[in-house]
Amino acid sequence: MTLSRLDLFDDVAVRLDNVSLRYDTSDDILSGIDLTLKQGSFSFLTGASGAGKSSLLKLLYLALKPTKGEVSLFGRPTGRLARDQLSALRRRVGVVFQEFRLLDHLTAYENVALPLRVVGRKEADYRADVEELLTWVGLGKRLHARPSTLSGGEQQRVAIARAVVTQPDILIADEPTGNVDPEMGSRLMRLFLELNKRRGTTVIIATHDLGLVRQVEAPVYRLSNGLLVRDAEFGGSAAGRRRTDPAKAAD
Amino acid sequence: MARETSLLPVEDAREAALFFVVAALCFLAALAALSAKSTYGAARAWTAEVEGELTVTLQDVDRRAAEDARKLIEKTEGVRAAHLLTKEEIDELLEPNFGSRGLPDSLPLPQLIAVTADPGVADMAPTLQRELAEAGYDSAVDEHADWAGDVRRVLAITRLIALTAVALLASTAIAVIAFATHAALLARRDIVDVLHLSGARDRFIASLFERRFWILGLRAGSVGALMALGAVAAAIFAAKANAAHAGLLPDLSLDFTDLIVLVLTPITAGLAARLAARITVIRALKSVM
Repeated sequence: MTLSRLDLFDDVAVRLDNVSLRYDTSDDILSGIDLTLKQGSFSFLTGASGAGKSSLLKLLYLALKPTKGEVSLFGRPTGRLARDQLSALRRRVGVVFQEFRLLDHLTAYENVALPLRVVGRKEADYRADVEELLTWVGLGKRLHARPSTLSGGEQQRVAIARAVVTQPDILIADEPTGNVDPEMGSRLMRLFLELNKRRGTTVIIATHDLGLVRQVEAPVYRLSNGLLVRDAEFGGSAAGRRRTDPAKAAD
Repeated sequence: MARETSLLPVEDAREAALFFVVAALCFLAALAALSAKSTYGAARAWTAEVEGELTVTLQDVDRRAAEDARKLIEKTEGVRAAHLLTKEEIDELLEPNFGSRGLPDSLPLPQLIAVTADPGVADMAPTLQRELAEAGYDSAVDEHADWAGDVRRVLAITRLIALTAVALLASTAIAVIAFATHAALLARRDIVDVLHLSGARDRFIASLFERRFWILGLRAGSVGALMALGAVAAAIFAAKANAAHAGLLPDLSLDFTDLIVLVLTPITAGLAARLAARITVIRALKSVM
C-alpha cells in the first residue's frame, strides 16, 4: 500500500469509528466516539480540563492506539498499517503541542526546520522558507535563539511554525493561542485559516478560549464525560456573533 | 554553509562514564586477546622445539663407549642427529641448580646424548632403547614430547580461559552499551517523541543513536587499545631488562597479528556499540505506536 498526495481527493480526512481509550486500569477516558472530519474542514474541540481533549488529539496525531474502535486518516484505517506507513501518515499531520515540545539544544530556526530534516530535505532548499515563516510569526530577529531564552509566547510561535512548515494536510493544535497576546492570537488564527483556505488543510483546534471559538464560523465539538458531542451553541448557526467564515478569512 | 546541529544533544556526564567503562572493558579485552594469542604462539614454539627431541642417558660408561653409542644412534632410521654432551654443556644445563662453578669432578655423571629425530616417526624412544640394549648399553631414553603434551594441555586450557575472558568482556561491553543506550533513550524521550511524531521512521531515529554510540565505541576502544599496547610494551620492556631470567617466559614481542588485534579492538567496540544502540532503540520504539 502506498500513500500519496492523491489521497487528498478522498473526501474524509479523519474518521473515528466507535473509538474508546483507557490508560492501564482506569475507566474509559474516551468512550464510543464517532467523528468524521472532511478534507479542508475547520473544527474546534472544547471541553473542561481533564475531559480528554489531549487524549483525543493524541489519537488523531497517531501517538496512541485506541483501546477499542478504529482511527482512519485519509481513508486508511491506521490499526492495520505498517510502522513506515504510519510514519508517512504522521508527516502529513502537523501538531502544535500544548507544552510546545521544543528541543532545547536547537535554535528556533533548527526547531522549525526539524520536520524538514526528518524527511531528508537539504538546508539550502528550506532555509529561506523557514526564515520567512519565523519572520512572519514575529521571530525574524530571534532565529538563532534557544527556546530557553524565549518567552512562553515566543516558544508557542516557534511550535506553531514547526507544525505548519511542512504545509501539512491536517493541522492539530492543542491550545495554540494560550500563551500569546490577543493580537498575536488573532494573527495565528489568520495563519490557520489561510492554511485551511488556500491549501485545504484540515484544521482541528482544541481550546478553552471561547473568544477564539466565536471568531470563526466553524463546528465545535465538545468532550464531556468521555463522550463527544457537536455543540449546538457554537455550531455555526447562532446569530448575532461576530464570526469569520474560514472561506473568507484569508482574503 | 554551517554544519547542521545534531538532533541529539552533545554528550553528557552519563556518556563520559560510559566512555570510561567501555575503554576499561576494551583494555581488558585487548589484553586478554593478546594473552590468548601469545599463549598460542608460545605453545606452538615450545611444542615445535621439543617435537622429535630425545635425551639418552647412559649409566656406567666412559666417554669412548658413549661416543660409540652416539654413532649407533645416529645410524638408526629416523634419527637426524645425535650429539654427545660435553662436561661443560652438562654443567651449563645444571647451572640453575648447582651454580656457575659446576659439579665437582668426584660426582659421577651419566653420559648424555641429545637426539634429534624426524618428528613424524613413531615409537622412537622404544626403538633406541631396544637397539642400545642389544648393543649392551644400560640406557634410559626420555622423549621430550611426553611432557610437552602436558605443557600443551595446560597452554590449551590457558588459551581457552583467555578466549572466554575476551568473549565475556565483549558481551559485558555490549550489555553495558545496551543499558546505556536505553538510559539515553529514556533521558531523551522528549526528543525521540518529537521526531517520532514528526514522521521520522524508526531507522532514522535509531541512526542518530547508532552514530553517537559508534563514535563513542570507536573512541573508547581506541583508548582501551592504546592502554593495552602500553601495558604490553611495558611487559616486553621488563622482560627484556631481565632477559637472563626469562627462560620460562614465552617470547614477548609485538608482531603484525598483535597490531591487528589492537586495531580491531576499537572497530569491534564501535560496531558492538552501534549494534546495541540499534537493537535497543528499535525495540523501544516498537513499544510505542
